[in-house]
Parts: sequence; structure tokens; C-alpha cells
Amino acid sequence: MDLNHPMLLASDDPPPFPPNQTQLRRLDRALYCQICKEPFQGPVSIACGHSFCSQCIRSSLESLKKCPVCNETAGEGSIRRNRALEEIVDSWEDARAVMINLSQPQASSSRKRPPPQPTTSSASNDKVKRLRRDEAGSSRSQSPAKRSSGADEDEAIDISSSGGVEDEDEPVLTENDEGECPICSARLAIAAIPLHIERGCPPPKKQVNGSGSGNQKADWKKVFGGVSTAKNKDKEPMKRITKPNYHLATPAELKAILSAHSLPITGDKPALEARVQEWILLYNSNLDTSHPKSLPALRARLNEIEASRKRDKEKGKDALGEQLTTKEGVAKYVKERGGEFERLRKEVLARDSQALARAKGQAGKPIEIE
Amino acid sequence: MATGLATKRLMKELAEIKTKGTPPGIVLLNAVALDQWVFLISVLGDETIYAGETFALRLKFPNRYPIDSPEVTFLADAEYIPPLHPHVYSNGHICASILGAEWSPVLNAVAVCITMQSMLASNKKKERPEGNDRYVRSAPSNPKLTRWQYDDDTV
Repeated sequence: MDLNHPMLLASDDPPPFPPNQTQLRRLDRALYCQICKEPFQGPVSIACGHSFCSQCIRSSLESLKKCPVCNETAGEGSIRRNRALEEIVDSWEDARAVMINLSQPQASSSRKRPPPQPTTSSASNDKVKRLRRDEAGSSRSQSPAKRSSGADEDEAIDISSSGGVEDEDEPVLTENDEGECPICSARLAIAAIPLHIERGCPPPKKQVNGSGSGNQKADWKKVFGGVSTAKNKDKEPMKRITKPNYHLATPAELKAILSAHSLPITGDKPALEARVQEWILLYNSNLDTSHPKSLPALRARLNEIEASRKRDKEKGKDALGEQLTTKEGVAKYVKERGGEFERLRKEVLARDSQALARAKGQAGKPIEIE
Repeated sequence: MATGLATKRLMKELAEIKTKGTPPGIVLLNAVALDQWVFLISVLGDETIYAGETFALRLKFPNRYPIDSPEVTFLADAEYIPPLHPHVYSNGHICASILGAEWSPVLNAVAVCITMQSMLASNKKKERPEGNDRYVRSAPSNPKLTRWQYDDDTV
């Protein structure tokens, strides 16, 4: 991978504060999750008082029951939603553009007063960032340049000057709206564009991604005829899913959980287990935020994770297989593993000659046994 | 390539290395793929027994990075040899708790390099670990599959 790859520069991070603003940098840094190094999403606290994104700490505790920062024993039971922190992160993201503006050297004289008018470009950037965070995770890396409208900017200014955050949870564009792929100009849901590009621009097909909940369910039904009997859960108040005991759970029980959430029930037990685990993680952490994603978006995300896992697995297999089909590949393989082969050969030779010597010794005189 | 969270975090770390650079004595040699990086590590200062030596540290990031720890080995090939250190086997495997049981998702690639650097810096005698040959003969290719015992915390 090229270190000057444009993808490395085109990160969707907000611009950093100038280096001389150490206090602001510190404040900014404090609102980043230590695990994913992104601003907190659905922040929660655990027993020792450290805070993380709900999804980050939940998956971390799954593999190690300790606080990642201070090593204190921690369990999932101690996770508490941190609403104050969420409010702070949200309002900081709104205020960020303004603060950056204020911290510029030329504006330093007016630092104490609120700005007469924040520049529209930065304010709308900020707004776009918010929009992106409100959408499905898959849409987080798309380019802000694709959408900006007058209404959008007005709204953003409004918010940044009043400092309110309550009434802005209606993104103008949703993940279901269509946009144009910047590479192949195919039209597809905005949320699906990054993935579409990542896959090398396949022609768009009717996808489960981001379709309405009704369609979603119908789609699954089509694929797994008549499997799902669950009611439409989207309307019911959401409750945390209790984790099953994976050692004891039968495939049928896992399937019951999956079908209760309108998820596919294909695959063997490990596959079902992985799917249930991933779903519970997505679902439960989605309850810790005041900008929850829709269930169809979560299902699409689960789908994506599974697809990408599968690709990874196949890629690894292919790489070795492909390597062995070419002459250079075989040569490389031999070079890498040659030492091992040589060592085994020597060992066998040594053993054989020892055995031979022993046989001779037995025939002739008694041998010493070490 | 790894999934969502891992990809984003690795890109972030690479971008940060690009903008802020790495600590003295640590150089990112290459990142052949997003999930496999090689750092060059040398120990600075006069008191070190590794003066003038450079080692190559390879980090392979799993799918579930940073939840799962990266696979860290010193390169052992024609160009680089692993440092002579009581915790480093001659095949490049490292016995260090932060690469196994004490890994924490708040750590990152540069933090791993710094730990390795300081592990080398605090060492006073050049030797291979006890039972090096026995281990190297039967070691799995992935050091994370070895069951490590961390008993010496002096170096």
C-alpha cells in the first residue's frame, strides 16, 4: 500500500486545531473514544469511570473483561449510558467550526465575544458532519462535497448561534436518498456508495441496504421463504437482548433469536453464533444513543460485516492458492519454507544414521545409551 | 482488508504517522498492505548494548483490531535478524505481555513499537531466551497461538 495514497489524506476528520491552541486541542481530544479514536458515539461509562463508545467497549469486554484504559475488572453489567457526555459531544461538534474560526490567529482579538457571523462554509461543513453521523455507519466516509443546500446552511447557522441541539435530528438527506456514484455515475442510495466503490463499482442491483422496513422484511421473506413469523418489531419499544449461553444454546435456539429479529438463519452453528453475537452487539449499543439507527440500517450493517468477513477469509485462501500457481510464487514459497524443510530433512537423516549406527552397534558390540 | 472499525483506525494511525511522524529511533519502513506494517527500530543513546543495530518489527493487524491484538514479530530473514534479547526468540517471536494477555484496545501501532524499543533499551545482556531452540523448532507461525508465560518483568 502506498503511503501517499489519497485515501489517507481524504479522511473525513474535522480539521484539527492549530498547534498553539493547546487547551482547545486537549478539550477536543477528550471527546474522542480511546478505542476507535473517533468522537464518542453513544457514550457509556463503566464501573471505573472511564467512558467509551457503547459498541467499542461492548466488543472489547467480549474478549477481555477489563477496562482498556486502567485494567480494572469490568463487566457488561456495569455499562451505563452517559447522557451528559453525549450531550457534550453533540454540542461540541456543533460548536467546533465556530471554535476553529475563533482560534485562528487573525480572529484572536475577538475571542471573548461570539462571532458576528460564522462563515457559512465551515458551518455547513459542521452540519454535514452531523448529518453523516446521524446516518448509517456505512455512510460515514462519504464526501461532504456532494450535498450542500441553502436551507442546510441556514439551519446550521441557526443552530450554531443559538447553541441548541434538541430540534435538529431531522437530517435533510437520509441514507435512503439516491445519489450519483462519483466514479461510474450509477445512481444508488447514498449510504451504499462507499461500499459500492470499495467493491469496484459493480452495476447497482436492488439491494437490501437501506430499503424501508416493510421492503426489508419482504425481501428476507422472498429469500428465506416463509421463515419469518415475527411481528414487525420496529414499532415496539426496544429492549436490550439478553445474551444466550453460546456453549449451551442449540442451533434452533439461535435461529429463534435471529428470526425474531428478521435475520437470516442460514449457516452452521458457528455462523449462527457469530451472527447472533454481532447482532446483539449492534442492537444493544444502538440503544445507548439518542441518534439510534433504524433496524433496517442495522441489518444492512450486519450484512455488510458478514460479507466483508467472508471476503477476508476467501482472500487469504486465494492468496496462497494463487501464489502456488505461478513459478515465482512457488519459488517464493520454497524460499520462505525452505529452511523448515531443510531442518526436517536433516533431522530425519540424523535419526536414520543414528538408528543405523545403533543397529550396527547391536550387531557388533553393546552401545552406550545416553 | 479488515472490516469497518479496523480499516478506519488503521487509516487514522497511518495518517497520524504521516503528519506527526514517529518517535526517535522508530521509522515506518513500509505498509505493504493496510493490515501489515514494518517498522525499523533502533535504540538510541550511549548506554544501550544495541548501539548501531537496527531491527525490523512486523505488525499484522487482525480483522478485529483494535479489540484483538496485532501479531508482532521481529523479522528474521536475509536482511534483518531479531535482536539478541532474553525475551526474543531467534525466529523473531516476542514474549511480551502487552502483545498477549495485557493487550488493550487503547494501544496502537506506535505504542507497540515504543514498548519494544524500551524493552531493548533496558536490557543489559545479549542472550537468547532459555529453551530457544526447543521453542523455535515447534513454534507455530503465528506467535499469538503460543501460550506465553510472563515471568520476568525486569527487562
